[in-house]
Amino acid sequence: MRYLATILFLTALLAGRAPAADASADFDSANKLYAEGKYSEAADLYQKIAAGGAVSPELLFNLGNAEFKAGETGRAIAAYARAERLAPRDPDVRANLQFARNQLPGGDSVRADWCARLLGRLTLNEWAVGASVCLWVFFGLLALRELRPAWRGPLRQFTVLAGSAAAVLWLGTAALGFDRHLNPVAVVVNHDAMVRGGPLDDAQTAFTARDGAELTVLDVRDDWLQVGDGHQRIGWVKRDAVERL
Amino acid sequence: MRDWRLWFERNFGNPLKNGRGVVLALLLASISLRAATFSATLDRDTVSVGDSAQLSLVFQGGTPKEQPQLPNIQDLRVGYGGQSSQFSWVNGESSSTVTYTYTLTPVQPGDFTIPPIEVTVGGETLHSQPVTIKAVRNASVEPSAPNADQQLAMLKLTLPKQEIYLGEVVQAELDLYLRENVVGVQQFQFTPFTADGFTFGKTIQGSQRMTQVGSVRYSIVPFFLTLTAVKTGSLKLDPLDCSIDLQLAGTGQRQRDPFDPFGIFQHNEERRVTTSTDPLPLTVLPLPDGAPADFSGAVGNYSLRMTASPTDVTVGDPVTVKVEIAGRGALDSVALPPLSVWSKFKVYPPSSKVQTTDQLGAQGVKDFELVVVPQSTDVHQLPPLLFSYFDPDQKAYRTLAQPGINLNVKPGLASNAPLMAAASKPATPPPAQDIVPIKLRLGNLAASGPAWVQRPGFWAVQVVPALAWMTLLVRRKRAEALANNPRLRRQRAVAAIVASGMDELKELAARKDSDNFFATLFRLLQEQLGERLDLPASAITESVIDEQLRPRRMPEPVLGRLQELFLACNQARYARVKSSQELEAFIPRLETALREIQGLNP
Repeated sequence: MRYLATILFLTALLAGRAPAADASADFDSANKLYAEGKYSEAADLYQKIAAGGAVSPELLFNLGNAEFKAGETGRAIAAYARAERLAPRDPDVRANLQFARNQLPGGDSVRADWCARLLGRLTLNEWAVGASVCLWVFFGLLALRELRPAWRGPLRQFTVLAGSAAAVLWLGTAALGFDRHLNPVAVVVNHDAMVRGGPLDDAQTAFTARDGAELTVLDVRDDWLQVGDGHQRIGWVKRDAVERL
Repeated sequence: MRDWRLWFERNFGNPLKNGRGVVLALLLASISLRAATFSATLDRDTVSVGDSAQLSLVFQGGTPKEQPQLPNIQDLRVGYGGQSSQFSWVNGESSSTVTYTYTLTPVQPGDFTIPPIEVTVGGETLHSQPVTIKAVRNASVEPSAPNADQQLAMLKLTLPKQEIYLGEVVQAELDLYLRENVVGVQQFQFTPFTADGFTFGKTIQGSQRMTQVGSVRYSIVPFFLTLTAVKTGSLKLDPLDCSIDLQLAGTGQRQRDPFDPFGIFQHNEERRVTTSTDPLPLTVLPLPDGAPADFSGAVGNYSLRMTASPTDVTVGDPVTVKVEIAGRGALDSVALPPLSVWSKFKVYPPSSKVQTTDQLGAQGVKDFELVVVPQSTDVHQLPPLLFSYFDPDQKAYRTLAQPGINLNVKPGLASNAPLMAAASKPATPPPAQDIVPIKLRLGNLAASGPAWVQRPGFWAVQVVPALAWMTLLVRRKRAEALANNPRLRRQRAVAAIVASGMDELKELAARKDSDNFFATLFRLLQEQLGERLDLPASAITESVIDEQLRPRRMPEPVLGRLQELFLACNQARYARVKSSQELEAFIPRLETALREIQGLNP
């Protein structure tokens, strides 16, 4: 019986690891294609891994590199930006994202303000975990004060500290979450995306968004996204002309 | 005059004492001080014989004493169309315009000149400039149907010229002739324009006018459209078919209407008419040889303007160049001049936008915006810009030139690095030259699902510590409440004593321990009655039935049961009960009695 349980456990463990092993093999193959200068093929393979539903900052970083080398600056910026959301303090990701952005003429993209940049130093999950831990500590100390009334005095400062930290971290979580929810960003991945005055193919062109321009998504209607750019211009762009982060 | 002054003062007061009057005086002065002008204009220079043109005599800054009279001119019929006035006050500037309109209808071909007309305005004699109208007899001008003057409706398509150039945008006029007895048009449908070798633009409706064909007057509803030749050779515009539902004015020969015996209401006749244009031959000429090297196919008449900003930049900084090509022609197909000489710049693909200034879309501005980046400090100027197009009116190529724009390009960080390194350590690293290479490890794959804060389970976990703390808090609050309420505390203590005492009684009954059984039973009665009566338990005896419970109006059956229990306890001291069944029989009686005591209000 014990052997049977061990076999079942190992089988389950191996079955769970099989997709990760496949992804790792594909990742190595894509890296090889990249090294051979076959950037488009490498990008396709990185995309295939990401389409499996699991991503890592390294995968998105390499995808951005392959897209950039293949001349797809917009897709590269989208991949780097997604990698930055997973690993916001990774210097390589930040450097390549900045390098790709520098290749574009300025002004078209919406730029995050200092507050959003500060919040973006942590991922949304990091903010949430920090806030959750502080909340647990705060309520744990409160519970301890109930169980051991004699400890109330010594625990008072720690309770206030944990409560304040929890409040700050929850505020940060809420601010970043609302910013991501209310101001979603889309990156233009067509070389010249026509932004029209309305969500119609024959609507008048409001402006042309360049490849790589980061736009704020204001509304969604069928296959059209209402977007705004860094010049405060607003219009509708086809969903397939941009990649939403 | 005196009455006028009284009226003025009554309504506006003394202009010297009243601000309103001063304003009015200034207003009148500003109008009267402006010199009057007089001009004569025709809405078109050429008409067909029998067709009408409109002559407008416009007076600005004054009104003539009487209606201007036009001289009699042979073979030119003149009709008076009426007078209109306009007064405007814009930004403190006032202007008044009086316009007299006349219709001029030549009955013979030729040139007709309206000589200068003399008019007196405000004591000043003004003269208009002479205007000339040309009347032509042309088969294409009048509808060519043999019985043209008999038809209710006709269509006529005209072009300004019979020879056009490839790519030239031409404005065509489609005239719908409606006989004068047509009082309404219900439906007007025509087949779409189709012609091999042409593309057609927008269609707009013009202002209605009158004309005469033979002895019949027609109103003309003009439609204008643009067409562009895309193929050379002798081409033809196919006939255009149209069907119209017309309303004709009643002829008076209708039968008498019993509901309208006096003929008050108009009775119109409806009739559907179909008509078509004649096929129109047109020659499309190829563009002549000798096109400039930078010619990219633009045909029309254009102007060119180029601006750039900023002009004071460092190497690598973007400069936005705006090129504006304005004029008449196929603006959509106008391309930015080639930028092959801009080799010292990194040039990004331009964006363009067309803004038309006429309803047909044949005139307007095409704006190009491109970003260029100077690559070195050797750059001192944006190169001159040349734009060539073919002018179909002049039948020649023309080249527009915009001079170069001076730039002040300063060295960037990379160029400065050696100098700065010699002086001190650079504050910021030089810009990267390429991206950071790829990573060799895949890292930890994580499902790319929603963030944790978007998952209900995450929020459920946050509730756990809060609930735990709240449970402990409630427990403490209840303990504190109990500590501050002795009656409640005793009530709970007695409840516990009774609960354990009942179990004890069952054991004693089973052991047939009569003495302890009744001692316990008596103690339970004491505890419960003492708690209810707020007396010490030891002070409870059988006498409380009469002294405490009866005055509280406790029901007699309950008192009876209590008395029986007390009596049993007393008797047990003298006569033991030995049977377990007998002892156990007391337990339900005691439970009933205790429940009834618990119902007693303290």
